[in-house]
Amino acid sequence: MRLRMRGRSGMTLAAVMSVAVMTACGGSEPGEGSDAGAASAWALTGGSEDAFRASFDSWNNAHPDQKISSEWFANDAYKEKIRTAVGSGKSPTLIYSWAGGTLADYVRNDSVVDITDGTRDLVDRVLPSVAANGTVDGRTYAVPNTQSQPSVLYYNRKLLDDAGVEPPATWEELMAAVEKLKGDGVTPVALAGQSVWPELMWIQYLTDRIGGPEAFQRVLDGKPGAWSQPAITEAATRIKELVDAGAFGEGFASVNADAGADVALVHTGRAAMLLQGSWVYPTFRSDAPDFVSDGKLGHTAFPTLEGGTGDPSNIVGNPTNFWSVSADAPKKAREAAVGYLNEEVFSEEHIDALLDTGTVPPVEGLEEKISEADDADYLGFVYDMVRDAEHFQLSWDQALPPGQAQELLTNLSKLFLGKSTPKQFTKAMDATL
Amino acid sequence: MTSATKRSRNPLGGRNVPGGLAGWLWLAVIVLPVYYIVVTSLRPREDYFTENPLSLPSAPTLDAYGRVLENDFARYFLNSVLVTAGSVVVTLAVSLMAAYVVVRSRTRFAGNLLRLVLLGIAIPIQAAIIPVYYLIVELGLYDTLLAIALPSIAFAIPITVLILVNFLRDVPGELFESMRLDGAGEWRMLGSLVLPLCRPALVAVAVYDALQVWNGFLFPLILTQSEETRVLPLSLWTFEGEFTADVPAVLAAVVLSVIPVLAAYAVARRHLVSGLTAGFGK
Amino acid sequence: MAAPALILFGLFAGLPLLGVVALSFTSWDGLGTPSWTGLDNWRAAVTDPVTRDAVWLTVKLTLFCFLFQAPVSLLLGVFMAGRQRYRALLSVLYFLPLLFSSAGVALSFQALVDPNFGAGTALGVPALAQDWLGDPDLALYCVVFVIGWSFIPFHSLLYQAGVRQIPQSLYEAARIDGAGTWVQFRRITLPQLKYTMVTSSTLLIVGSLTYFDLIFVLTGGGPADATRVLPLDMYLTGFRSHDMGKASVIAIVLAAVGLTAALGLNRLSGASRMESQTEGA
Repeated sequence: MRLRMRGRSGMTLAAVMSVAVMTACGGSEPGEGSDAGAASAWALTGGSEDAFRASFDSWNNAHPDQKISSEWFANDAYKEKIRTAVGSGKSPTLIYSWAGGTLADYVRNDSVVDITDGTRDLVDRVLPSVAANGTVDGRTYAVPNTQSQPSVLYYNRKLLDDAGVEPPATWEELMAAVEKLKGDGVTPVALAGQSVWPELMWIQYLTDRIGGPEAFQRVLDGKPGAWSQPAITEAATRIKELVDAGAFGEGFASVNADAGADVALVHTGRAAMLLQGSWVYPTFRSDAPDFVSDGKLGHTAFPTLEGGTGDPSNIVGNPTNFWSVSADAPKKAREAAVGYLNEEVFSEEHIDALLDTGTVPPVEGLEEKISEADDADYLGFVYDMVRDAEHFQLSWDQALPPGQAQELLTNLSKLFLGKSTPKQFTKAMDATL
Repeated sequence: MTSATKRSRNPLGGRNVPGGLAGWLWLAVIVLPVYYIVVTSLRPREDYFTENPLSLPSAPTLDAYGRVLENDFARYFLNSVLVTAGSVVVTLAVSLMAAYVVVRSRTRFAGNLLRLVLLGIAIPIQAAIIPVYYLIVELGLYDTLLAIALPSIAFAIPITVLILVNFLRDVPGELFESMRLDGAGEWRMLGSLVLPLCRPALVAVAVYDALQVWNGFLFPLILTQSEETRVLPLSLWTFEGEFTADVPAVLAAVVLSVIPVLAAYAVARRHLVSGLTAGFGK
Repeated sequence: MAAPALILFGLFAGLPLLGVVALSFTSWDGLGTPSWTGLDNWRAAVTDPVTRDAVWLTVKLTLFCFLFQAPVSLLLGVFMAGRQRYRALLSVLYFLPLLFSSAGVALSFQALVDPNFGAGTALGVPALAQDWLGDPDLALYCVVFVIGWSFIPFHSLLYQAGVRQIPQSLYEAARIDGAGTWVQFRRITLPQLKYTMVTSSTLLIVGSLTYFDLIFVLTGGGPADATRVLPLDMYLTGFRSHDMGKASVIAIVLAAVGLTAALGLNRLSGASRMESQTEGA
């Protein structure tokens, strides 16, 4: 023991020092210390990340005294963290969300501020049906901030051609295609079962096609027995049909959407179709540029169901994402945030950046711009789909309160895994109402 | 003759063919995943989907490591070092003082203290995480490195005190008495007698505590959120989501996170082993 | 002098334990402030099939972990205690899993057992290319294996140390009596390792009952809730469903189960004081 600490002073010193070091490092985060009043934002990686970055850069260059710092999260990690951050009063100034049940919670707890007056210009640019998601009791608490995200049925053209099937337009065609593709040793439909939420798209589309938007509205209204109503029961039964037919292959429960494994299955030719949000198109383009430019990636709407009462133009997914402004942020940061929203979101440059990445913002009058874009065919398809939709159903896990949403994901996963029958599924879900 | 000497050294006696076979088999179980991690981390991203997963990469590259290092890996590493060093120093300092009290003091307080400490060992940290989270938020420490360090220290104290107490009990009482006769106060005894004597136990328990904090996952997961305060184990988890479809990069990050511990293992294997089994074996 | 340790422990470990009891009688969604609801959470948790499944699954996981790790660790420890040079070399390599963090182990095995791109596809053996983590009937066994992979080295170190403390004279005496390898193992090695077994088993069982990190990253409790053991149930209820009150009830159950197991094992082994397990090893 060469370096001998002497009694009290030595040990106290060591303790104080290490605490001091840690405090110093801990205190240097944005929104504290010397940076007081600076605005911050959290957003998601992938998809339209580049467009977000460009819009922040543009704002920061024009307003050096009102800079907004940004941080980037993967989807699941973000959902895990944001509510904790808001609850602890440490949220970023700009809160990224899907509106729905979470926004309602934020508003009830006064976590976000009313931005009706500051964002009128922005709201005017947006399709009214999409902007409506951000209002609570007629006041705006969240504004659209990025592309529309309808769920689209993507397919590998070559695999469908090889199997001699057309992209399915009806349920019967889909089931027939599944049989054919299976015969060819291809997984008919890629599904990221490990992430579970992609399974929502199937039950949501089926429920809507069979019973229309009213069916899920009953669930939202908390009507007793709403989950076991005929439309949802039949939707669950069709899912069992698909699973039993082997539509998703053997290993779908290990496929992770955050890691882009479902997209990889399609462009590597292991799976033929994929029902996913439109945010995967940029992933296809970056992970398999040749696959997309050679026209091997096809897209179509979800098949129709005979006898269903839902309008075939209805779509499910996320109308878009939203920005809210934190009530915990200092006044100066809130002003910067609102200024950014009004000036930068869906500005000409932002719209162009989104179109460049292969995504479509929910903005009025884009037809001409899109027809000149690189992916005009695909972008036009998505734009028309969103503009002409009779109803755009927000993802159920976002529309429902968090507790019910978690139960839905668990029970839905059991249904896909064959661990629950359709009846057990609807019964378990009825119990959450 | 050689076989006879070998035999006498082997507690089980004799050459043990099934044992040897099982030993090599277990080696395969241990090494195969490690081999997979290393070769995959050296594979180009595109080849991951096409090459045989267990083959040597046809075009080995360090690109995946580059992508990880670009991704602020150094900052997460530094955070881990700070939290670990700070927690271990404080834990050792306060635990040594407490252990000294337990061993030297003859009051009932000391006995109760030890019982309290023993109870603490059996408390799973998962059970206390929600109030810890609440407390950290209320103290305004949420999303700071202190938020990880303070509970880590608190939960390391019981086992550390216990190990030091067991060790200090073996120190002959006469040593203390003779120092006391020389007029030494409590603090001086702690500094110039207990501390040097305890050195082997301190090293072992420091290693044990350090590994716990270094690899800790739950506290960082719940008590921090931003990149500024992210530590290594948590960064691995977030890398998975950020490196979309880039398994080589995720595994490269795993390899990078192991390297410091591996280096410590290479340099001081004996200390590491004794630290791991500190208090449980000798 | 004991004050700093007491204050730190009391504030960040003792106080939270009292806090978790208090929180279990409140409703708190993580956003506002907790509000008193009496026994509601307890009633909800007791009747919740998910939590009941989690208790059963935790018992199952602990049992399987014990059945896998205890014998392998014992045999491996005895093997490592041998003085042959190749065994010393193998022992160095056996140590490797201890260098990885749980998150690192979990991520690596996720990639390794992936049914589409993982190592199972490499060998062309269909039995290996199963959907290990995606099949609800297999996931738990896969989790047990991965936990074993990362913790067996630790337990075998304990056994190695234990075996090396057995006096050689016992074996020599047995050999003179003509006892073979198996008899020596059964009559000398096993009884002499009694304390080590108690230590290792206690750590193993309490550890398995409360284990979180690796399972969280590896499966997140899935597929569906096939690996949703109590610690996962607590986390998901508290930090995903944002029902902190109910999560606190689960946390109390968790603490009770852990403490009971630790004390029970201690009683069972005839050791009246907890210190003996550390001194005897």
